[in-house]
Parts: sequence; structure tokens; C-alpha cells
Amino acid sequence: MSDRPFFVFPRWSDTATKIILAAAVLIPVYLVILLGYGANARTLNVNYQPIQPVAYSHAFHAGKLGINCQYCHTDVKRAAFAALPPTQTCINCHAAIAPHSAALAWIRKSYKTGMPVPWKKVNDLPDYVYFNHAAHVNAGISCLICHGHVNEMTQVYQAKPLNMAWCLQCHRDPAPFLRPRNEVTNLNWTPANKTRLAKDLGLTTATLPKNLGKYLEKRYHIPNSKLLTDCELCHH
Amino acid sequence: MNRKATLFFLIGSIVMAALIPLAVIADRRYERTDIPRIAIIPDMDKMPYLKPERSSDLFADHRGMRPHIPGTMAREDFIFDNMAEQRAHPNNWKKDHVVLSNGKQFQRVMYGQVLTNGQASFINHIPIPVTRRLIARGEEQFDIFCAPCHGYNGQGNGTVNIYDSELRAEGESREAGTWVQPSNLTLIGVQALPDGGIYDVVTNGIAAMAAYKDQIPVVDRWAIVSYVRVLGLSQKKVPAYRLPATVRTELTNRK
Ligand code: HEC
Ligand code: HEC
Ligand code: HEC
Ligand code: HEC
Ligand code: HEC
Ligand code: HEC
Repeated sequence: MSDRPFFVFPRWSDTATKIILAAAVLIPVYLVILLGYGANARTLNVNYQPIQPVAYSHAFHAGKLGINCQYCHTDVKRAAFAALPPTQTCINCHAAIAPHSAALAWIRKSYKTGMPVPWKKVNDLPDYVYFNHAAHVNAGISCLICHGHVNEMTQVYQAKPLNMAWCLQCHRDPAPFLRPRNEVTNLNWTPANKTRLAKDLGLTTATLPKNLGKYLEKRYHIPNSKLLTDCELCHH
Repeated sequence: MNRKATLFFLIGSIVMAALIPLAVIADRRYERTDIPRIAIIPDMDKMPYLKPERSSDLFADHRGMRPHIPGTMAREDFIFDNMAEQRAHPNNWKKDHVVLSNGKQFQRVMYGQVLTNGQASFINHIPIPVTRRLIARGEEQFDIFCAPCHGYNGQGNGTVNIYDSELRAEGESREAGTWVQPSNLTLIGVQALPDGGIYDVVTNGIAAMAAYKDQIPVVDRWAIVSYVRVLGLSQKKVPAYRLPATVRTELTNRK
């Protein structure tokens, strides 16, 4: 009786130890994956596609009809705020086209009462961030880079994370993202079309710069990356 | 059930349960959703100050951006929208900006009219300097605002008109629209108008065409008028004998 140990680990405790050890390794790994994957701007911000009061399609109007973005978002090259079109802009055409369509009920109501259509905001930065469309668009940065292929979207959704790391990844080196100013609303633009590029820049195909990004950076007087990553630029 | 099976069952269900959050995340990451962005720490994301187009409970109709009071005009409507452009493009408008020295000039630039003995009439010439830059600006603005209807060449067959005639050709009966074909801007009917008259069509619209004064600033409207003249001149039919001899021989040699 007396040589019997005071306490004997039961047999299952061998298995339990293994399980606990495995869990101690796996659970933190799991949590890191969960947080890294879940609490990341790509997951939290992208793909927001609210249901709008009018089933307006960019794929049809901006894509098939080829209406320029500025026909509706008139202020995008002039102001910080891109602005959604007032109802009058839709009435320009829809007074005569599909005037009784059920899809346009909100537009007619808004036109009659003068109350705006309650569009839902898709891309929405926190209020402590300052953003300016004119500065970017006039520096030769296309809508495509920040909003994706809007001209192929039946309904707009947020295509890019728009978080701080994403803004800074470009502000550190904007050159690769630049294109001629008058092509920013042309979402199908490609630098491969040399004749068009030469016309946009007022050059000939023979005198085209080798590094387009660096050339435009100089031509459009883009500030250096030290200035562009200053906290005060976006938080003031 | 023996112990081992229970254990496997337990661990198996824990692993399966652990996959559920990952699946939810994957769904959020790759599928469209109508749930707005999720702020883990919403600190000061939404503040009560007014940003453009935001609603406000201060006003009975909840419009944060107040509508125009009839009979008034915002100061920045005329002078400042062009200055904003100037700020954005330091070298674009420096030379062309309009100086409103007096009321008469204001009348000419704003309305494209002059008053003679109390009688208003359209001015014949664009009242601001017509430079190469103004015409280039006109082309850009024409392509944005006029081309969907009047076409890039101004002949009245833009994409909207093409789409409408396709609908008609298919005998599409779901909607009886009242679309009329936009005018051909290169023909004498439009080209014979004075500059002030074309400006007035853009500003206030005419018959089936809507007014564009809210969408296009004053100077850009004049730029568009200059480009409408370019479209007219460049597509005018000229008798062959008025062409330079070199062009004529080239044309006759062409098969
Ligand atoms: C015929 C008018 C029209 C044209 C042309 C147009 N848009 Fe829009 N756009 C709208 C309207 C109306 C909305 C608001 C409804 C919605 O979000 O779908 C909108 C919304 C947007 C939004 C989302 C705004 C937000 O709330 O964050 C983006 C981004 C956008 N447009 C980009 C573009 C781009 C890029 C082009 C050119 C390829 C373009 N739009 C052309 C009318 C237009
Ligand atoms: C330049 C002309 C033009 C402008 C400006 C325009 N649209 Fe359209 N829209 C069209 C044409 C053409 C159609 C096709 C009509 C059809 O299929 O019968 C159309 C179709 C639509 C439809 C589908 C109608 C249906 O019955 O299926 C909706 C909704 C619509 N537009 C919304 C808008 C809104 C909102 C605006 C303002 C932001 C707008 N449109 C501005 C030309 C225009
Ligand atoms: C550098 C990135 C960037 C570029 C380039 C850009 N946008 Fe945006 N856009 C944004 C951001 C960020 C927002 C959200 C702004 C906010 O919530 O304050 C936004 C918002 C919008 C909105 C909603 C109204 C507003 O201003 O909040 C519209 C419409 C829009 N963009 C259209 C356009 C069009 C059209 C172009 C191209 C001519 C364009 N954007 C180019 C980043 C960009
Ligand atoms: C694709 C590149 C790119 C992206 C993405 C981008 N920016 Fe910029 N940003 C620029 C460039 C280039 C300039 C310099 C423009 C100039 O002054 O000519 C600039 C300038 C600015 C300015 C100064 C504007 C002024 O008034 O002088 C602000 C503020 C700014 N960016 C904020 C942002 C924010 C916020 C985001 C993210 C939502 C963002 N940017 C994303 C390229 C980018
Ligand atoms: C190019 C513009 C830009 C610059 C420069 C910039 N930020 Fe930001 N910052 C942003 C944007 C956009 C957000 C919003 C991120 C989001 O949507 O969660 C942000 C968010 C933040 C937040 C809040 C983060 C959170 O999730 O609550 C802090 C803190 C911050 N920035 C600090 C800084 C500091 C410090 C600097 C200077 C080193 C700086 N920022 C420079 C654009 C910028
Ligand atoms: C929504 C389609 C649409 C757009 C956009 C449009 N127009 Fe028109 N326009 C018309 C139609 C339709 C007519 C024919 C009006 C009629 O005869 O009833 C017309 C007629 C005209 C006329 C002839 C007026 C006359 O006296 O016969 C001129 C000049 C004109 N447009 C210029 C312009 C200019 C410049 C723009 C760009 C700022 C423009 N239009 C944009 C549809 C449009």
C-alpha cells in the first residue's frame, strides 16, 4: 500500500498532453490567420454594393453608350468632391427615352418634387481623412485605379480597399500609375497604342519618352514622395 | 462507441467549426454584399459635420446641401468655377480667363447678347479670345457633353441616337419614347446661327434639347461654340475648283 505513488496519471493523460500541446500551437496560428485574413481592409471594405433606389447601370450608360464620366460627374476635374448627377442630368435624355419606365419612377418623382434621389454612398472614407478628386485626376490618375472597371459594372461596388496602406502604396511612388491627363476617363486606355499616346502628349511616335511614368511625373509637377506621405496631407 | 471514435468525432467537429469563420470571411472577401464597410474600431469615422451630399437633421427636408434661392446665383458660379480650374491646371487658363470689366461685357459673356435700344440680340462673335487652347478645350468638352447625341463629328448620329434607331428598327414596342434625331450641327441651318445663338442653345436648350447651363461653365460653353464652328468648317462641302491644285491632282489620281 505504501509503495503505491500518491497520484498516478491516468493513461488518457498521454493523449491529453498531445492534444493540449497541439492546440497550444494550432490555436494561435489559427487566430493569426483569422485576424490577418478577416480584419484586413481587403475583406472589410471591398465589394460593398448597396441596393440603389434606381437600377441605374454604368455598364449600359458609360460602357455601351460610351457617355464620358464627366457628363454626369461634372465636378471631378474641378473640385475635391466628384458629385453625383442631379436629376436634371437624367432628364436630359429620359424626358424622351423610356419616359414611362417603372425603373425610372424615382427619377420622375424627384423631378416633380425637387427632392434628390436618395442614392447610397458606395466609396466612403472616414471623416478624418481629406481626399481630393481634382488633384488626382489632373495629375493623370485614372478613375480605373481607384474605382475599378466602372464601365463594366451593372451596379457600382467598391473595388479597392481605400485604406491608408493602399493610398500610401501609390503616394510612395506614383509614377507607374500615371497616364496622359485627357485619358483619365477612358477606362480602356492602354499605353500600347503609340499613335494615340503621341497625340495625347503632343509628341510624335519617334520622340515618345522611354519611361512614360517618370516623364509624366516631371511634366505634371508631381510632388516628391516625402511630401505625399506627410501625415498632414490627408489628416488635417 | 469507443473512446477513440469519440475523440476523433470531437476533434473533427472542432476543426469543422473552426472553418466556419474562415468561410464567412471568404464569402465577405470575394462576393458582393450590401453590408457597408465594417469598422472594427469606429473611432471618428462618422462625425456630425456636413460633407457634400450628406443629409442633415437641421433642416425639415433633410437636405444638407441647400437648394438655390430663386433669382440668386452663387458667387462662385461664374468667376470662381473658372478660377478653380485655373488652380487645378496652373498652366491651362492663365491667359484665357475672362475679365469682367463692366456690365456690358458681363451681358455679352453670360448671355451672348447685346442690348441696343432696349432690344436684345445675339452677338455675332465669341466675346472671349479664341485661342488654340480654347478650341482644344472645346473639342474635349464637346466630346463629353454633346457627342452622345450629336456624334463626335456633329452630324447628329451619336450613340444614343444609334441605340434609339436600333430599338425602332426592331419594332421594340415596350416604350413609346418621343426621341427626335438631334440636329446635324455641320449644316448651314446651325452654322448660319450667330455665335451668341449657338451659345444660347447650349445654355437654355431648344425644343427637344435640354439646357446645359448647370452642367457646363460659361467659358467652356464658349469653347464648345468655337468647336462647333470647327466641325462646320472642316466638313463643309467645297467646290472642287476651289481646292489647291496639289490636292486636286491627288484626289483625281486616287482610285
Ligand atoms: C449617365 C450618368 C453617369 C455617367 C456617364 C457615369 N456615372 Fe458614375 N454614377 C452615376 C450615378 C447616378 C451614380 C449613383 C448611383 C450608383 O452608385 O450607381 C454614380 C455613381 C458612381 C460611383 C460611386 C459613387 C459612390 O457613391 O461612391 C462611381 C465610383 C462612379 N459613379 C464612377 C463613374 C465613372 C468612372 C464613370 C465613367 C466611366 C461614370 N461614373 C459615369 C451616374 C453616371
Ligand atoms: C445620354 C442619354 C442618357 C442619359 C444622360 C441617361 N440615360 Fe438612362 N438610358 C438611356 C438610354 C438610351 C436607355 C435605354 C432605354 C431603353 O432600353 O429603352 C437608358 C436606360 C435607362 C434605364 C433602364 C430603363 C428601362 O426601362 O429598362 C435606367 C434605370 C436609366 N437609364 C437610368 C438613368 C439615370 C438614373 C440617369 C441619370 C443619372 C440616366 N439614365 C441618364 C440614355 C440616357
Ligand atoms: C486616387 C483615387 C481616386 C481616383 C483617381 C478617383 N476617385 Fe472617385 N473616389 C475616391 C475616393 C477615396 C472616394 C470616397 C471619397 C469620400 O468618401 O470622401 C471617391 C468617391 C467618388 C464618388 C462619390 C462622390 C464623392 O466624391 O465622394 C464619385 C462619383 C467618384 N468618386 C467618381 C470618380 C470618377 C468619375 C473618377 C475619374 C474621373 C474618380 N472618381 C477618380 C478615389 C478616387
Ligand atoms: C494611384 C496613385 C494614388 C493613389 C491610389 C492615391 N493618391 Fe493621393 N495623390 C497622388 C498624387 C500623384 C498626388 C499629387 C497630385 C498633385 O499635387 O499633383 C496626390 C495628392 C494627394 C493629396 C493632396 C491633394 C492636394 O490638395 O494637394 C491628398 C490629400 C491625397 N492625395 C490623398 C489621398 C488619399 C486619402 C488616398 C486614398 C484614398 C489617395 N490619395 C490615393 C496619387 C495617389
Ligand atoms: C495618403 C493619405 C494619408 C496619409 C499621408 C496618411 N494617412 Fe492616415 N489614414 C489615411 C486613410 C485613408 C485612413 C482611413 C483608413 C481606413 O479607412 O480605415 C487613415 C487612417 C489613419 C488612422 C486611423 C486608423 C484606424 O484604423 O483607426 C491613423 C491613426 C492614421 N491614419 C495616422 C496617420 C499618420 C500618423 C500618418 C503620417 C505618418 C498618416 N496617417 C498619413 C490616409 C492617410
Ligand atoms: C440629350 C441629347 C442631346 C445632347 C447631349 C445635346 N443635344 Fe443639341 N440637340 C438635341 C436635339 C434632340 C436637338 C433637336 C431639337 C429640335 O429640333 O427639337 C438638338 C439641337 C441642337 C442645335 C440646333 C438648334 C437649332 O436651332 O436648330 C444645336 C446648335 C445643338 N443642339 C447644339 C448642342 C451642343 C453644342 C451640345 C453640347 C453642349 C448639345 N447640342 C448636346 C439633343 C442633344
